[in-house]
Amino acid sequence: MRKSAKVLTQKHETEAWVRFSLLMRRLSPILAVICLLLLWAWISERELISHILVPPPGDVYLAFIGALADGVLAKHAFVTLQEMLCGLLLGLGIGLVVGYAIAKLPLLEYILAPIIVGFQSTPIVAYAPLLVIWFGSGPASKVVTTAVIVFFPTLVNTIVGIRGVSPNLRDLMRSLKAGRWRTFRHLEAPSALPVILAGLKTSTTLAVIGAVVGEFVSQGSGLGYLVTAARNLYDTPLVIVAVLTMTTISLSLYGLVALVEWRFLVWQRRSNM
Amino acid sequence: MLRFFRHIAFVGALFTYAVAAQADLQDERILLTFIPNIQFAPFYVGIEGGYFADAGFNVALEHLQEPEVLDLVAVGQAKFGIVSGEQVILARARGRDVVYVFEWFQKYPVGLVYDSSRDLRELEDLRGLAVGIPGRFGASYSGLTTLLQSAGLSEDDVDLREIGFNAPEVFCLGAVDAAIVYVNNEPLQIQHLAVRGDCGDVADIDVIAVAAHVDLVSNGLIVNRALLEGDPDEVTRMVRGFARALQAVIDNPAAAYLASLEHVDSLPADDSLLRVLQAAANRQNEFVASHPGRDAIALSRHQLEADLAEQFDNELLTQLRVLLNTIELWDAESLGYSDLESWEAMRDTLAAMGFLDDGAVHLPEAFTNIFLPGPVE
Repeated sequence: MRKSAKVLTQKHETEAWVRFSLLMRRLSPILAVICLLLLWAWISERELISHILVPPPGDVYLAFIGALADGVLAKHAFVTLQEMLCGLLLGLGIGLVVGYAIAKLPLLEYILAPIIVGFQSTPIVAYAPLLVIWFGSGPASKVVTTAVIVFFPTLVNTIVGIRGVSPNLRDLMRSLKAGRWRTFRHLEAPSALPVILAGLKTSTTLAVIGAVVGEFVSQGSGLGYLVTAARNLYDTPLVIVAVLTMTTISLSLYGLVALVEWRFLVWQRRSNM
Repeated sequence: MLRFFRHIAFVGALFTYAVAAQADLQDERILLTFIPNIQFAPFYVGIEGGYFADAGFNVALEHLQEPEVLDLVAVGQAKFGIVSGEQVILARARGRDVVYVFEWFQKYPVGLVYDSSRDLRELEDLRGLAVGIPGRFGASYSGLTTLLQSAGLSEDDVDLREIGFNAPEVFCLGAVDAAIVYVNNEPLQIQHLAVRGDCGDVADIDVIAVAAHVDLVSNGLIVNRALLEGDPDEVTRMVRGFARALQAVIDNPAAAYLASLEHVDSLPADDSLLRVLQAAANRQNEFVASHPGRDAIALSRHQLEADLAEQFDNELLTQLRVLLNTIELWDAESLGYSDLESWEAMRDTLAAMGFLDDGAVHLPEAFTNIFLPGPVE
């Protein structure tokens, strides 16, 4: 009797420990952010680094409230969001189509690879000014900058995804006399989806970079512009607010893609179980 | 054999002297904006000509964005920096205690470029035109605001387009009717494009300089309050070393161009051009030694340009012309001097732009002329 009670207690303790570990794992990102904020506040309070270089968190909070209240933050964040979503869709669309074509036609890869890799290996900031000259100083140049930066990961992941389809399954589709469309719809698209969605995660974070680089080069609105304008007015707290807003947008989109991935890849999770 | 050892001993002594002299110098960096460019010739001449060394400094140059230059000087991570006067006012309004000690550019370098065939006789004629500007910040924006104000116009009266630092290309593509530019540099580029027929219908251009309408404080040397009060001798030495280097460039642009070759990779260095410049630099040294007046020296600069234009094509001379144009913005009876009126004009412009509250900055604390030398020798 005493032995079984001891075992039961041990079992409860183990379960409690597992629950606690799980909770800690879920809370750890939040705890990390809190620790960072505390460290920032501590450094700032003791003025280990000049407030000119690193303003106190309180000043950043006030700048955030101010920018939120007068609509400046929403206005610029909306512009950046618009540019990056348009660029993301454009880059994604072209990347998927070209990626699929290359995956199916190796000759195309042979022809296009030097151009694509050469273009991609050049830092976007090097040719972003050219994009402004070619596409104008309006939103078009920022959309194209974003599309260019998003294109490559989409392309690569599409090629890898399509080429990774099991040859046995392809044989099966052939034996079922499935046409190109059916093969694409029922085999290639679902098989490539995990890899493409992984690429999309990378692309969404890169899309913010694309839009902001465009805004840095040719400015008028957007978070990149807000950073420059605030910097030129020595409003460092507002610079940090703009940067954190970019991070938030980036993380939100990343989370959204992760959600889509979780929703659409139910079959993959089940097969892994 | 003995002669050989004497030579070795002599070279060794020279080397030791050079190392010892170098060791006596104080390592100091000066923060500049933009990128290495012929427009920073006074700093290159200061280093190559030994003017900074004479002042006790072994100077290294670094290029950063203007707000970064100002912040690093403000917190004491660098002692000396070059920024525009408007940045000093804005930064002081935000608690950066920096002081402007030497006005390098005596004339504000910004202006408005337009197709000379356009009927733009007065500033009021800007109304309704598409005007390109790098962005709504910095010297370009201040310059445009001042121009518009002096014509009784506001930003709403023109179609303002933010084009980044791409004025020559955007202007020549016809995307704007006029563009805000740095008067010493971009008009030359546009002119060359126009001459080559690469600037749309534009055959010739005209420039309206902000300096012709209002005297705004421009680029200059800054230090922070702690250095100014803690080691005024160091500030004096730097200001005077720089003033001598600046005067040397004004007096002898050919020599300044040659000194800049060490620092600016993109400068044309055609052998025949360098030979001609070296000869011109030697002649100018002799001329300057005869103590000519400011006007005579200005005339000699024009003569230099005319002589070179006869021998070399425009492409090769562009950078030298940028230097000559920029010298016109530096040259003054009293180098380095800035007056309260130009600071007030700048403050009013910033207030009109909505960047500054009235009374946010006590201007007499923003600058000083006490470190300036008398007439530079």
